[in-house]
Amino acid sequence: MPAPEGELAVAQAGNSSDFVRKLYKMLEDPTYNSVVRWSAEGDSFVVLENEKFTKTILPKHFKHSNFASFVRQLNKYDFHKVRHSEESSETPYGRDAWEFRHPEFRADRKDNLDNIRRKAPAPRKPQQADDAFPATQQIVVLSESLAATQHQIQALQEQYFDLFNNNKILVNEVVSLQKMVKAQSQVSNELITHLNNIEDRRRNSRHSAHSSHSSHSGPAYHPGNLNLLPDGADEPAPELRRAREILNNVSPDSEADRDLHRLSVAYHHSGSPPDSSTSSVTYTQPGSGSMPVVHHDPLNDMRHLVYPVGQTQGIDPFHSDHIHNIPYSRPLSNPAALTEAPIQATPPPKDQGGSLWGANKPRILLVEDDKTCARIGAKFLSHVDCTVEIARDGLEAVDKMNHDPERVDLVFMDIIMPNLDGVSATAMIRMVTPRVPVIAMTSNIRQEDVQTYFHFGMNDVLAKPFTKDGMVRILKKHLSYMLRDPSQANMGGDESGQSVGVLGPSMSSQAYGGPQGMSMAAMAGGPSMGGGGGGGQVKYEQTPIQSPATTSSWHSPSQMTHTSPSMNDGGGYLTAVGSGSAGGMVLTPGGTQRPQYSNQVLQPQIGGQNLSRLPDMMAGMGDERPEKRQRLYAPPQGAYVQQ
Amino acid sequence: MAMVEADDRDDEGSIPSTHSIRSRRSIRSFSMPDFGDHVDDQIFSQILEMDDDETTREFSEPLVTNFFEQAEETFVKMDQALTDKNLEELSSLGHFLKGSSSTLGFSKIKDSCQIIQQAGHMLNVDGSPEPDEKVCVKKITEALKAAKVDTTELKQKMERFFAGKPIGDN
Repeated sequence: MPAPEGELAVAQAGNSSDFVRKLYKMLEDPTYNSVVRWSAEGDSFVVLENEKFTKTILPKHFKHSNFASFVRQLNKYDFHKVRHSEESSETPYGRDAWEFRHPEFRADRKDNLDNIRRKAPAPRKPQQADDAFPATQQIVVLSESLAATQHQIQALQEQYFDLFNNNKILVNEVVSLQKMVKAQSQVSNELITHLNNIEDRRRNSRHSAHSSHSSHSGPAYHPGNLNLLPDGADEPAPELRRAREILNNVSPDSEADRDLHRLSVAYHHSGSPPDSSTSSVTYTQPGSGSMPVVHHDPLNDMRHLVYPVGQTQGIDPFHSDHIHNIPYSRPLSNPAALTEAPIQATPPPKDQGGSLWGANKPRILLVEDDKTCARIGAKFLSHVDCTVEIARDGLEAVDKMNHDPERVDLVFMDIIMPNLDGVSATAMIRMVTPRVPVIAMTSNIRQEDVQTYFHFGMNDVLAKPFTKDGMVRILKKHLSYMLRDPSQANMGGDESGQSVGVLGPSMSSQAYGGPQGMSMAAMAGGPSMGGGGGGGQVKYEQTPIQSPATTSSWHSPSQMTHTSPSMNDGGGYLTAVGSGSAGGMVLTPGGTQRPQYSNQVLQPQIGGQNLSRLPDMMAGMGDERPEKRQRLYAPPQGAYVQQ
Repeated sequence: MAMVEADDRDDEGSIPSTHSIRSRRSIRSFSMPDFGDHVDDQIFSQILEMDDDETTREFSEPLVTNFFEQAEETFVKMDQALTDKNLEELSSLGHFLKGSSSTLGFSKIKDSCQIIQQAGHMLNVDGSPEPDEKVCVKKITEALKAAKVDTTELKQKMERFFAGKPIGDN
């Protein structure tokens, strides 16, 4: 018994106990006679009708209606139940009556009540015996609360589960983004180093190579202008220094990195933790424990769209509003669909006058919101015997592909479109068909963007404004199995730089640049060799108005022929040379780096077949140059310059 | 300029496949008019090549006509967006018109659109940030003005070209 009760007992020592006086008072009331009363002798009292007593009298006098408590209380004051011997089965008060007695508790001794005291802490045994009475009641209460708790736990576990999966996805996403960022900064460093070298060489050679600036030197690709070397200032380009500084200033938060790393490792190596905990409880949804990624049917679940529906002309997936809000990781493809090898046996050549293709003509889906572009693209494609279907935005494209994944052999996909952008659309298309080549069509071909395209399942990039040649090249490369003469697949049929490009995948960047530099030198007649390495690689033409800071971007190949005013500005041109060669360089690290990256990314998706595809992709990277180069190279032979 | 003769063009083989070279040769007689720096000849000539009949030009003519309609509609929207100082919208419109103009090879218009698109995102054309909104608005205003002038000029040339008349009066 706890101390307070003992104290209470002491405090009451001088007076009769409340309980005993209440008891006496209750027995004084004659109206209760039929329920509870003094025994005939007056030395004990009898509860005749247990139920009635509990329900009506106890509440009045003791403020409760618990007979067991009443009995316990009596016990504490050392009352004892009067037992009648077995043989005299006839008690004076009936079978169910309870008779209690205390030596000092008598009807005629009201003054003696003070002598009835609480017992010292009661021995345990009798108490337990009394506890037995409400036990069932307590069990009911307990089991009820247990059930409630279990429900709670189950709900919590479900929530935890969702959170766990979401978190896993986020961590994966962050990790892959980190990889990308790392690759980016490596690329940037390479670029800066390369540019520095070029800068140095340029400055060393500028005096020997200096030549006068022709007054109408717009398109600078005839030999005379190739001699043109910077007559700008001597100091290294401030852009380079700034870029280097920025790069160096970005120091990763190593602590956060470590935590993140631990997290991602945990996710990859520990069998999903919630599984073990759920199994102990009734809540176990089969399969839910190993649920890897959340998108079950994202096509029907608009919440999974990468980008919100745009209100104006198009959605730029790289706008910061969107790029940070990609809600899912790159989709895993359905391995079952991989049974179809992307490269099949070539159909036997048939004599079909002029057509590129074998028995089956390629079916192309052209996804392009701009009517003009769509019509031109469709025309180019149908001109080379392709069947063309046009989708006006990503949503329509996804719809078509979802409806019949096998309906087309190749997809040309614009990037910035209303309703659903091309990157998101591709991610979705990849869920229904991992096989069909999806080609990004965009003028936005900065390295990092291209990497994102690849990351979301695109296979190649066609620079805008696209040309018929560019399209044909893509078709030949990705649909080589449909060609009438498969040997064309690699030869591409493109002139000039193309054959060099074909070797791309296996060539180092030096070897790659070599032939180009030479052919350029041959045309240029040599004197520009001081700037040779750089000058020879000026094939990504540069938008004349572009400033040198855009070192990491390629630019749409359209601007060569026109003479924008700034083209005549010596400095402008020279910086264009610098960045042009940077454009050449971009591919070199990119060519090696991106395939590696794709390799990681594609591994889960394509599995074993990946290997056969990889060189293909690398070829694609290599090819990107010749395509542009071709456009630039043609002019020196032809009358590119329209003055 | 000695090494680069204007008529070298006819000998160059920038069109790859044997198939297209053949079709190319068939239109050798046609000489591309000089649109000056308005047009990227290489790109535009590829579109002209798509015409089955170069007297009617059933493919390229409506394409070009549509483009000018599209351009004029877009300019109206741009004017409105400029009044509202809605840079985001301007950028989006710039991107929109850039796509078709560049695919047609209409370089000057394309360049202006590029400026508008970038400035609408508070960027210089080279991608470096331009924090001053006033500068951006000014750039857009100028580029839009230039685009309109170029469009009008080019439209006249194109109309004459498709009508079979000599285009140049410059």
